[in-house]
Amino acid sequence: MKNGQYVIDTLRHAILAAATSVILPLAAHAEWQRSYVIEWNEPAMFFAGESGIEGPGSDCPMGVNPEQNWVDVLVRAGYTQEEAEWLRNPANPTRNPSHGQNQMAFRGEGRANVYVNPESYPDPGLYAMTGSVAEGLNLDGNTDTGFVSPTGEPGIDNTFYKTLGCWKTYRGPERLSSGAMQFNDGMRNGSWTMVIVVSGEGNDPDNDNEVMVGFYMSQDNMVKGGDGNISPHYTYRIQPHAKYEGLFPARTVNGVIESREPVTATLRDPGYTRDLELLQAQVKLEMKDDGTLRGYVGGYRPWLPVYQGWVNARGPVIESLTWVELPAVYYALQRDADYHPEGSSDENTHISYALRIDALPAFVMTPDASEVATQVVSYKDQAPPLPAPTAPMIGRSRVVDGLVIDPNAAQQAGPNAVILPAR
Amino acid sequence: MIKVARLFVMTTSIGLGLYAALASDVVLANGSADAVGNTSVVVAVRRLTEPQYRRSIADIFGDDIQINGRFEPERRELGLQALGSATLSLTAAGFEQYFNLSHDIARQVLDEPRRAVVMPCQPSALSAFDQACAANFISMVGERLFRRPLSAAEMNARLQTAASGTQHSGDFYTGLQLALSSLLAAPEFLFRIERAEVDPDNGDNLRLDAYSRASRLSFLFWNSAPDAELLASAASGDLLTEQGLQTQITRLSSSPRVQDGIQAFLVDMMQIDGFDSMVKDATIYPKFNQLVADSAEQQMIRTLVDLLVVKERDYREIFTSNDTFLNRPLAAIYQVPFASSEEWAPYTFPDSAERSGIFSQVGFLSLYAHPGTSSPTVRGIKLHEIFLCEHTPEPPADVDFSAVVDSDAATSRERLLDHMSNPGCIVCHQRSDPPGLALEHFDGLGQLRKFENGQLIDVSADLFGNKFVGAQGLGQFLYNDPRASSCLVRNVYAYGAARMPGSAERSYITAQIEQFADNGYRVPALFRQIAQTPEFFKVVIPQGAPDHANTASVQ
Repeated sequence: MKNGQYVIDTLRHAILAAATSVILPLAAHAEWQRSYVIEWNEPAMFFAGESGIEGPGSDCPMGVNPEQNWVDVLVRAGYTQEEAEWLRNPANPTRNPSHGQNQMAFRGEGRANVYVNPESYPDPGLYAMTGSVAEGLNLDGNTDTGFVSPTGEPGIDNTFYKTLGCWKTYRGPERLSSGAMQFNDGMRNGSWTMVIVVSGEGNDPDNDNEVMVGFYMSQDNMVKGGDGNISPHYTYRIQPHAKYEGLFPARTVNGVIESREPVTATLRDPGYTRDLELLQAQVKLEMKDDGTLRGYVGGYRPWLPVYQGWVNARGPVIESLTWVELPAVYYALQRDADYHPEGSSDENTHISYALRIDALPAFVMTPDASEVATQVVSYKDQAPPLPAPTAPMIGRSRVVDGLVIDPNAAQQAGPNAVILPAR
Repeated sequence: MIKVARLFVMTTSIGLGLYAALASDVVLANGSADAVGNTSVVVAVRRLTEPQYRRSIADIFGDDIQINGRFEPERRELGLQALGSATLSLTAAGFEQYFNLSHDIARQVLDEPRRAVVMPCQPSALSAFDQACAANFISMVGERLFRRPLSAAEMNARLQTAASGTQHSGDFYTGLQLALSSLLAAPEFLFRIERAEVDPDNGDNLRLDAYSRASRLSFLFWNSAPDAELLASAASGDLLTEQGLQTQITRLSSSPRVQDGIQAFLVDMMQIDGFDSMVKDATIYPKFNQLVADSAEQQMIRTLVDLLVVKERDYREIFTSNDTFLNRPLAAIYQVPFASSEEWAPYTFPDSAERSGIFSQVGFLSLYAHPGTSSPTVRGIKLHEIFLCEHTPEPPADVDFSAVVDSDAATSRERLLDHMSNPGCIVCHQRSDPPGLALEHFDGLGQLRKFENGQLIDVSADLFGNKFVGAQGLGQFLYNDPRASSCLVRNVYAYGAARMPGSAERSYITAQIEQFADNGYRVPALFRQIAQTPEFFKVVIPQGAPDHANTASVQ
């Protein structure tokens, strides 16, 4: 390299570093700090489709889980052909289509609601991901089990991907699966904001054995620039939250942040579950030269809330739009769950999971906005108490047992509903 | 026969042609005594700016009156919209907007809930015309809107309108609304019409009449129409006395509202406009959006007002001070944390930010740049124009831009050097470009940078032997340049009097500049100082008007 070019490159790197780091008087231990806002996050689902999202690939040899024939489903559940066809006919002029849709819930044994009693219904099956490549983290430290990462790293534990990777909601290239787009659009349009603070005690941020990574909520919305993307370098105040916070002891190796030890953390889930509770949680995040941060946070999450999240998103709608029978999701998660906390029963209650994160450089302030958050500490003791649990809502509609009830409807769905109108 | 200039009482039924004539030239006609009972000459006609219109309506009828309309574009002459406003007319579409606004405002003013506040009387019956009450209201409101009492003809026209409206609608307030609409759409409201009268102490001279003086003072200090006290001072003739004038200047300049007046001047002089239509290439400046543009405009205004009005600091510090205000979007552009939970917070740029004063803020730097690049030339031209009152001629029609467009040079400096090889260009560019090149560490959005296309940017400059480096060097150069303060003094005078001082006022301006310096370059003091001088109210007969001899000779 020519000497002049070296000088220029050195200067350029120095400027870049200044733009993405905060060089401020830091409190007691932290020698350096970087902070970010999560501008995109989605379940780490390696996409290997060969002909689009629905088509086959090495991940899903038969493509995505196929669209159901709901008339057949209802007939198998005990409805007559006439009743099934009537219920699935949205143009039926005599009865509320949503009522007909709600009746889909009652296809369990004895017409039980399959959303709240999935085991009243035989497992209808769900296409599983059968490939050997997966994104994520080696949660158990065992390189002999799990998947191989796209870069060849063995031992990747991401059973969540194996279980739901062929559900068309989750399948797709980065940023292009329908689920990722739906929830990230919500986040980017102001539904919630999560920020990340990284601080270290060493002199070299790229190689530091004493690093802490903090995930926090912020009440400040992300802002889009003229190109429609989230703009970097905005300021975000930490919003203490009694639940959503994650503190990860870590180290950096050549600019990659890796957990030193697993922790328990709860983040804001980009999904209907809302709570991303992670046991044995770890991070692997690369601080990139352009100032961004990219990588994974993973751990074992309880699988039942995942299922319930989809149910509470209005079961019949989810089933119709996303081509799955929700009991199949229930059975698949239950079957594939691969972890349970120590001391609990032998039944696996958790499933290995990884969230892929893209974050932009940002300024993260203490909750009172008085100073840059230079230390990764817990702010939970400053958080207001969590609100009392309420019934799940979709928009302004209350969801009960996976259904939105119209109290003014002439007919209500249910185990004993008369399906066909009187002749 | 007395030859006087007088304006017609106009109702909205009179065609737009007369408006245009009134605005583009002075309407002069033979006639009897004018609106205020004295012979007078119209010596200046200035269209109200949008802020002046809004402020006037708010002051007269209340802050909660909604004004939803588009206003005619302003025109800047010799660097000031205040000068351009003296040459502006109204388009048909523009008048339509004012006309619609007049009805909308009149409706709001006389809506039932507000009547108790605005009406000085109660009509004898709601369904019948009450001449006395209508006259009371029209007289009171008309004086505030026209900034002088209504003439008998003006009053009668509105009374007839109100009576006719009441008769047709069967509602007194509907009729009164029509009369108020007529006042609001009248040129006497939409234009500041300044009149001169024969000076009784010197029959050979004209002097600005008391009401025109009141308006000139009020718009200078408050950017709004005169209040009742100022009009009363004009009515009594007190304002024509030195003592009366001093009393009003003291009152106006000590009011918190003086901030509005000086801010309006600063916005005009510093050309803090055009942010609504600013365009940036989103692929090159992805952070830019309208929020950033609006914030940049606000930052410039807040900085100037705080420095020059609130803190009354030395004017020249606008070139060197790094004290400013930030909000969240701007902090992102400057790449600094925003340490506040308020919408705006004070901020001081560190030395490493390379900023120096108002011209190194995102507002100036982005406004005077191209959509996808910076522009040393445009920035340099505007620095000379705004801060030094030195205007640059338009480039020749046959200028060859190919050298700069086709240049493969990495930095603006090198591209401009290619351009400078054209001898027809060098004359202006050797003056405009050096200050702009000193600002090249800021891209087209005003973001700090050190490199352009991989090359280190050189921000040294040589302006006719004055050498400086970067924005901070440029700021110090401007701070020390006496042209900057003399430019401000000339602009304050021109802004208030609606004309640039001519060669005849050279010694006057020189004296004002010296006094400005003696007062520590304080802008509020400069406003008071200029308003106190007889030259501020000096009458200059506009071109095309009858000469003074003809006007004043027949008593």
